[in-house]
Amino acid sequence: MSPTDSETPGSPDKGIGLRESPAPGGQAAPPALEVRGISKDFGSNRALDNVDLRIADGEVLGLLGQNGSGKSTLVKVLAGVYDPEPGGRLFVGGAEIALPLGAGQASQIGLSFVYQNLALAPGLSVLENLTLGQRIGGGRLSSWRPINWIAERRNAAAVLDRYDVKLNLDRLTGQLVPVDQARLAIVRAAEDLRRYRTRSGYKHSVLVLDEPTVFLPEEEVDRLFDLIRTVVAEGAAVLFISHDLTAVRAITDRVVVLRDGRVVGEELTPDIREEELVDLIVGAQARAGQGTPAETAPVEDQQAVALTLAAMESVGDTTGAGENVAVGHLTGEWLRDLSFEIGAGEILGAAGLIGSGAEELPYLLFGARPVGSGTLCLGAETMDVGVLSPQRCVRERIALVPADRAAQGLSQSLTLWENIIMLVEDEHYRGGVFHRGELVALAREAIDRFLIRPPRARNAMSTFSGGNQQKALLAKWLLARPRLLLLHEPTQGVDVGARRDIYRFVKSAADLHHMAVLWVTTEFGELAEVCDRVIVITQGRHTGTLEGEELTEEAISAAALRQTRDGEDR
Amino acid sequence: MTAPAPVDEARQEGRNADRPAPSAMLRTGLQRYAILIVFAALIVGFGIALPGTFLSVGDLSNILGSQAVLFILVMAVLLPTVVGDFVDLSLGSSLGLSAMTLAVLNVQHGWPVLLACVAGIVAAMVVGLVNVFFVVFFDNDPFIVTLGTMTIVQGVIYIVSGSNSVGIVSTGLSNWIFGNDFLSIPLEFYYGLAIFLVVWYVLSFTPTGQRALVIGQSREVARLSGVRVNRQRAWAYIIGAAIAGVAGIAYAGTNGTVDPTAGSTLILPAYAAVFLGATAIKPGRINPLGALIAVYFLATGTAGLELLGAQTYFQQIFYGAALVASITIPKVTRDRFLKRRRPA
Repeated sequence: MSPTDSETPGSPDKGIGLRESPAPGGQAAPPALEVRGISKDFGSNRALDNVDLRIADGEVLGLLGQNGSGKSTLVKVLAGVYDPEPGGRLFVGGAEIALPLGAGQASQIGLSFVYQNLALAPGLSVLENLTLGQRIGGGRLSSWRPINWIAERRNAAAVLDRYDVKLNLDRLTGQLVPVDQARLAIVRAAEDLRRYRTRSGYKHSVLVLDEPTVFLPEEEVDRLFDLIRTVVAEGAAVLFISHDLTAVRAITDRVVVLRDGRVVGEELTPDIREEELVDLIVGAQARAGQGTPAETAPVEDQQAVALTLAAMESVGDTTGAGENVAVGHLTGEWLRDLSFEIGAGEILGAAGLIGSGAEELPYLLFGARPVGSGTLCLGAETMDVGVLSPQRCVRERIALVPADRAAQGLSQSLTLWENIIMLVEDEHYRGGVFHRGELVALAREAIDRFLIRPPRARNAMSTFSGGNQQKALLAKWLLARPRLLLLHEPTQGVDVGARRDIYRFVKSAADLHHMAVLWVTTEFGELAEVCDRVIVITQGRHTGTLEGEELTEEAISAAALRQTRDGEDR
Repeated sequence: MTAPAPVDEARQEGRNADRPAPSAMLRTGLQRYAILIVFAALIVGFGIALPGTFLSVGDLSNILGSQAVLFILVMAVLLPTVVGDFVDLSLGSSLGLSAMTLAVLNVQHGWPVLLACVAGIVAAMVVGLVNVFFVVFFDNDPFIVTLGTMTIVQGVIYIVSGSNSVGIVSTGLSNWIFGNDFLSIPLEFYYGLAIFLVVWYVLSFTPTGQRALVIGQSREVARLSGVRVNRQRAWAYIIGAAIAGVAGIAYAGTNGTVDPTAGSTLILPAYAAVFLGATAIKPGRINPLGALIAVYFLATGTAGLELLGAQTYFQQIFYGAALVASITIPKVTRDRFLKRRRPA
């Protein structure tokens, strides 16, 4: 081990060694990781704009920001997944590394990543998962050299011991509780870093944790934090990416806030209050006119509106008065005792960050997850959510537009027309014959009116773009004349034009058919635009309602972020 | 109003776009009917090579009649496959069980032949029910479960038969299945045709069939569209087993004696025909019409080869090669299709 400093020619400071406790801008030692002027464009959209960031050895840096603020883009640049725009520079331990990074290069310069999905093989044991990385990813060990399982086991036990993690090496990883899976993934990454430091003699190494606490129950997060502290004590720096303010405040030394791809704030964690952080993340004052996406501008293209109206008329009679919906004491895997109402013709938004439980809401109400309890009143009828099934919901004319349209919403290998008429085909089966011609005609009309391009009814679903698939999915469910429309991330991966169409379709469905609509998404700007009222869900509980004047993206974001781990729901 | 013009234009354009380019139509048409074209070429080729014998009525009736058992089994295999349970290996043994039940009850226990036939079909359906229990109810992998049930049923057949061939089943049955003919084609061909028509009708002209298709293509989409996925899968297994039972009776009637290994040699050709059929008529979908064509395509090929003097085992090589070629060729054309479209 030679703590050589020869790799730091470009570094302005000569100080060697002397590892201090983390200090912001501490110039004594070269930072473990520094990026300067990193930008990344996706088409005309700038995801990262001249981002500077530095992490000192032994520091836990929190990286905060909303969805789309550029957090994950930055991580992917560091991991070598995305190539940044020319001009950005990257220094590791003071030595400049040429950008872009190649695939797999990150691990050779002392960066290690733990993503939200942890990348563990659930069917393999803890021992196998711990040794997997060296066997497969590293390529240092020959594929043919026999594995000495006794030695491997001894080493693995020592590793777990070093990080003070007690796990049975023979347990299947998939059977571990979520927090232990996360801890195993972190141990594995930290051990890679430690091996890197020993091998290379460098002192720097950075563990990047991308949203590690999202799916963990609150009482288990502390155990994760203990592990992170151990990892830091071993000598690694940690980049902790999260939108969970409580977690960030508990574990980080310093925070950097990204908004719209730019660094908008950098503070020592103890020096900043939660309110100030929320303001920084959301940008309460900053964004009055600028930055509002183009699709939020009201577009009243007469022809388009007329087409939408026609689409809605084709969907069925407009005479129904609509029905009120009331959900009572809904509880699922994440949601706790959620109650709310949706009026006839109302679009109710449900806002919540990933992990808040909001994403579970539409599936519970559709009976697609068998874990729920509570009641759902639709008009005069009261249903027990615990025994709801998708069949029952389709019969009751409840519609679910799931977020995963490719796997859950539309059959990719069937044709467009077959997907659109999926729910109404029974009505066109008379006298023992399936009136295929009628169905195709019906589908063609829907294709025309829902502006699905290209309008080829007989093309396989998989050949359509995301936006057109989403319109087809919406058409499929609206043709079934739902009484309650449940939407989950209905504009995910959808272009601006299609997004505008979808807003219009849903709005006119609510207006003309007095359909009750529940719109669940993490895109809060969208909720502010389309919804009449928004309920905010944090930690599985209903913690706020916004309507009228308060219904802005900033207010929703702030309410969703202001999660108080031990706080009470009101 | 001046605004509508662009939208109208766009819609007009859309209308035109509705009709695919002629070249694309040609390509899909080629893929759809490729097997028919090859089939026709095969017939012409054998017709020229074997003038007088191959195109005779006798040979036609031979081809149609000799494959009737396989054809019925193909319809049985088709049903679980349509709903996405790609393998029910036990259907071959179900055929054998049905045939053996019929033979043992009729020959050794003197049951009336009709009753023995019903018993045979019921026995096959019991196997189907067992499959449903373990595959659908317990959500197991159908390949593994039916591998197990196939082996078990095969064992049961040996026990029931004492490892011996059992013959001769009532000549009345033989006559009604194989002996009598209509338009000089054995009656069993028409039984197969009738089953085919029912399966084809249900799968193509009823919502049930359309739902089965959705289940087969994407089970989760079907579930979230309110389809009773498991119920329909269960029926596919049970009815498939019943049809395999009918195939067993046809087998017994055709052969007169029932061998304990009956059926086990038929199951793989049956799957070959189903998957080969999925490349025709409605490419990418398991469909009965394609399977019908595939069965007789394969039968014609082997019959012609036999007349040319090839040994029977060439049949297997022909089956295997046709199957591998049938799933590979559409991929080659599709990739080329995609590549050409990318710049657009």
